Amino acid sequence: MVSLRDLSGRFAPIPAAGARLPTEHAPGTSFPGLDPAWSRLVTAKTEDGPRSFHVLDTGPLLEARGITPTGTILAVHGNPTWSYLWRQVIAGSLERARSGDAWRVIAPDQLDMGFSDRLAHPVPPAAEAPSYRRLPQRLGDLDALMDALDVDTGSRLVTLGHDWGGIISLGWAVRHAGRVDAAISLNTAVDHPTQEKVPSALRAAMAPAVLPAATIASEAFLKVTLSLTEEPLPEAVREAYRAPYTSRLGRGGIGGFVADIPAEASHVSRPALNDVSSGLSAWDKPLLLLWGPKDPVFQDRYLADLQARVPHADLHRFEGTGHMLAEDRDLSAPIFTWLDDHFGAGASRAELKSPAPAGRVLGMHEQLDTLAGSEHRDSPAVVDMTAEPEAWSSAEDAGTGDRALSWEELSAQVDALAVGLTYTGVRPGDRVSLLVQPGASLTVILYACLRLGAVAVVADAGLGVRGMTRAVRAARPDWVIGALPGLTLARSLGWPGQRISAQALSARQARLLGTVASVESLLSRHEGASPDQVATPGAQDPAAILFTSGSTGPAKGVMYTHGRLGALVALLVEHLDIRPGASLIAGFAPFALLGPAIGATSVTPDMSVTRPATLTATAVADAALAGSATMFFGSPAALRNVVATAGELSALQRRGLSEITLVLSAGAPVHPDLLDAVQEIFPAAQIHTPYGMTEGLLQADIERRQVIEAVATGQSGVCVGTAVAGVRFALAPLDGLGRPAEELRDPAEAVGVLGEIVVSAAHLKAGYDRLWQTERTSRRDTLDGLIWHRTNDIGHFDAENRLWIEGRLQHVLSTPAGPLGPGAVETPVDALEEVARSAAVPVGPQGTQAVVVIVEPAPDRSLRTGRSPVAETSFAARVREAAGGVPVSAVLVLDELPTDVRHNSKIDRTRLAAWAEQVLSGEKVGAP
Amino acid sequence: MSRLIEPGARVLVTGASGLLGGSVAQRLSEQGYQVTVLQRGASGLAGVHEVRGSLSDPAALARAVQDQDAVIHMAAKVSVSGRHEDFVEVNVRGTQRLLDAAAAAGVTDFLHVSSPSVAHAGASLIGAGAGPADPQHAVGSYARTKAEAELLVEARGAADLNVLILRPHLVWGPGDGQLTSRIIDRARSGRMPILGSGAALVDTLYIDNAVDAFVAGLRRLPQIAGRRLVLTNGEPRPIGELITGIAAAGGAPAPRLRLAPGLAKGLGAVVERVWALSEKLAGPRADEPPMTKFLAEQLSTAHWFDQRETQHALDWTPRVSLDQGLALLREHIEATGSVR
Repeated sequence: MVSLRDLSGRFAPIPAAGARLPTEHAPGTSFPGLDPAWSRLVTAKTEDGPRSFHVLDTGPLLEARGITPTGTILAVHGNPTWSYLWRQVIAGSLERARSGDAWRVIAPDQLDMGFSDRLAHPVPPAAEAPSYRRLPQRLGDLDALMDALDVDTGSRLVTLGHDWGGIISLGWAVRHAGRVDAAISLNTAVDHPTQEKVPSALRAAMAPAVLPAATIASEAFLKVTLSLTEEPLPEAVREAYRAPYTSRLGRGGIGGFVADIPAEASHVSRPALNDVSSGLSAWDKPLLLLWGPKDPVFQDRYLADLQARVPHADLHRFEGTGHMLAEDRDLSAPIFTWLDDHFGAGASRAELKSPAPAGRVLGMHEQLDTLAGSEHRDSPAVVDMTAEPEAWSSAEDAGTGDRALSWEELSAQVDALAVGLTYTGVRPGDRVSLLVQPGASLTVILYACLRLGAVAVVADAGLGVRGMTRAVRAARPDWVIGALPGLTLARSLGWPGQRISAQALSARQARLLGTVASVESLLSRHEGASPDQVATPGAQDPAAILFTSGSTGPAKGVMYTHGRLGALVALLVEHLDIRPGASLIAGFAPFALLGPAIGATSVTPDMSVTRPATLTATAVADAALAGSATMFFGSPAALRNVVATAGELSALQRRGLSEITLVLSAGAPVHPDLLDAVQEIFPAAQIHTPYGMTEGLLQADIERRQVIEAVATGQSGVCVGTAVAGVRFALAPLDGLGRPAEELRDPAEAVGVLGEIVVSAAHLKAGYDRLWQTERTSRRDTLDGLIWHRTNDIGHFDAENRLWIEGRLQHVLSTPAGPLGPGAVETPVDALEEVARSAAVPVGPQGTQAVVVIVEPAPDRSLRTGRSPVAETSFAARVREAAGGVPVSAVLVLDELPTDVRHNSKIDRTRLAAWAEQVLSGEKVGAP
Repeated sequence: MSRLIEPGARVLVTGASGLLGGSVAQRLSEQGYQVTVLQRGASGLAGVHEVRGSLSDPAALARAVQDQDAVIHMAAKVSVSGRHEDFVEVNVRGTQRLLDAAAAAGVTDFLHVSSPSVAHAGASLIGAGAGPADPQHAVGSYARTKAEAELLVEARGAADLNVLILRPHLVWGPGDGQLTSRIIDRARSGRMPILGSGAALVDTLYIDNAVDAFVAGLRRLPQIAGRRLVLTNGEPRPIGELITGIAAAGGAPAPRLRLAPGLAKGLGAVVERVWALSEKLAGPRADEPPMTKFLAEQLSTAHWFDQRETQHALDWTPRVSLDQGLALLREHIEATGSVR
């Protein structure tokens, strides 16, 4: 209830009140997830006398169980919550105490908060009002409380905090840096640049005229905070959070905290805050940051500040969550895994290694330098068929016209730009988002970044604008280098990073887009300069962040170091036998950019790289002729269109294509029929369809003729060949519910067993970016002392060591007869002449799911029964026959199966499954 | 390892005049069980001891259960229409009398045949288990009274009998004068509707598999007493496809008549009232109403079940697949000229 007196400006004094147990609050009510046995009242000698705190403390419980804790976690809540915030962490700690390390959790309610003592307040909260607790006193309170509790000083001590509790717990940790072994914080901020505005969400409540009304007289501040969850809180949980604050007399502390926010330099708590922030900058112990990015108060800029202070901090940004992430996710899993990695059995994980690379690893720009100083110096390094003629200055080779850069020119431009970027302020380790279409210009920018040790962030347009925004926010680049469309997006959507344009802009344009420099003018200004002053990056330094396609959840940033990219280059050189002087047509972006590192000429065909289906046969042929190319890298969508447009080829163009000796299709499986058609266009080529992923671009490989042999064996799924040099595979068999085993098996000893594919190689990702838990989960295995990566792909190995991919882990059908990959059904169904493509999806509960096949008919085929999505009976019978031993419950027909944006080939089975479940329950539904 | 009920044991089968009851009695007898059957008319079965009588007749019941080791209780009033009181008399009180008689005669094992509808309040059943019987929410007199009967059986199971409850779902096949012949007859005359898109997944049970399951259930009853198990082929199919398949086995064209599910439920409610009225005025009718609310729901919402526990507990898997069953039905009809 709102007190009118507070609103009218007269403040009714708040009397002091004693601490109590939550069970005394309203006898008979229970707080979901909170065990009354955790609660105790503790009296501590604070600076202004003894005060009683309500504390959740698992110490007595552990003692009763006869368990000696590994260490203690001091968990400090923020404003306006209470220790209830930590109930899942506490429950998790007790659960783990049964099997492994036991951590005692001490989670006090701060003074004037939760069920701890209430202080008397004769006046409303304000920065200078003496009755309210200030940051220095809060730190002192923790000292007093820890003295009063019998904490084993010989064991580990870790702090954990959220919001104001983040500042206080981190402050307490740096104050006791000798005693505290590690710190963990959720959304918080230890600094606020005084020239910047406080986030608007908070500014409203902080205005002196509003503060008492918003925080004490009403529940406004409390209610807004409790609404900052991904899904609305269950009623009983909301009530539990509200319980200590339902009366105005209980809310003094809420107002006191808001009044203590030291946003201004003159604020009374500012010196204490400065101590915390500067102390944190010297923090050399482990720090884990768990972050909800959708927090209107603790925005990503505060996270960036924390990371800048503690560069070695581990971070997981929980996409989709916000301020109350402790409610949105069970944080006990990352917290205790992280602690175990630092202080428990997991510490030995630091010794895990990757296998040796497939060949000699060079620096990313080493070949470039070598070739620029060799007899090849005038040969083309980059040929850009998308460029307007005249766009590129002087090329010696008549065949490439104005569209080429020689090795010498490329090297000179890379050097000039590296120097220019350094002058602009780009530092080693800075993140640079590249919003430039693949082509010569992007190549120069990328290699300049690599040369100076800046980290290239490559979020491609295939993610869609929303996906890109999320990706860019997650990666938080310091710089954005873009062409006009990219910069316009960056500007209008408020993407972070200082902007640099690719082309020189007019002063007016530059102002509009907020750019600080242009690549074009940096190149001319620093022509002839060489970056001798800039140290060459080392193998462990980060080089690039790529993004997954996001077809199974938000796109993830994948970090590569120079050493790991170098290992990929070495593998390509080794496996595809690419020698300096070779020339490749780059119709698939990731490989296109590696040309200079390989020492091969890269030719960008005239196409929109973000829309591979626009690549025509004549464009490939022209690129082949212009660049004397012998290799073509493309995607299945590109290959399909090349086949479709082959009729337009002239005799000369056909001759150009007949010089191609290697075609490589990456990104998704290719149908054998398409491979045959491709072979006709590239008569001299070996056609490879390798298997890889953003996390490891090349893992297995197979050639067309081997595909034909493999298909003849009639196994489930798509055969992607055998491991390439330097790659080790392992298998995690699926159980009856479709869950992969924790124990890995050697493929040779698990022939024909369906499982998750796990891989180890020198050219795998260094890690997921700012996704500590995802990374830790994906690399949890330790078999043979190697670093592994769980691919989320499922499949099996055959007796010839060939890998057959049968789908994604999240698309497994867990039938009563056991788990099944969608590929086991789709492969034979796709072979029916009536079918363009198909998806096998499950309906029903895990373990007893029914198999549903959804078919996209071949052109001019109608396979449904009237207007119903159910297939006609005779066609359904053919599908069942094709599926062989797999019982198919229903066959449905859709005119077009939904697919992902980037590849336009990954079928959205999750969406289809939801649709099928509705249709088959008898509900009336439209399209998926 | 506790005991099994093996051939040689004495077993009473009630309701042996129906297709399922008769087939189970026949099979048990062939396997060497000593079978007694109880029904009002003649069973027409060879090799069994016959007791004539109804579930309303305590004396007949006492005779029937005398010296039996086990009882399989299949007799019930099965219909989608009729007076509620009639259902109560047979399905509830009849079951109670049989339980009492069996316990009094020292019978140890009681296999009760029920229906998934006892736990079904109308929503879709998707990979469902065998939930507890719920007389309050079950739809229609049959389901409600069978639900009450189940509760009586379970109470007895907690006291002095080994009980097993089996709930077969939509039994069909050669000889089935209920579901199978009605679908074919109506399809032949163009009166068989498909509700909505006909996509609702429905699980059924081919008659031979049902018989196998009952024999398996009887044999293992002492080991799996106390359970409720739904019995199906474990092959859910879109209802439209099932109806079309059964019609085709009878040489009937694919049903073309399509009704919106809402409309069918409305029609069903009206028809039920008309039927009730005509029975009130003219006494029980021999025919069944063409559509009821219950039937409309059955034909337009998903009904399929988790069979893992059933198959494991009974150590049984369906021998005849749905498609094999349809082929056998076609052969039977072509050979005999009739479903029955």
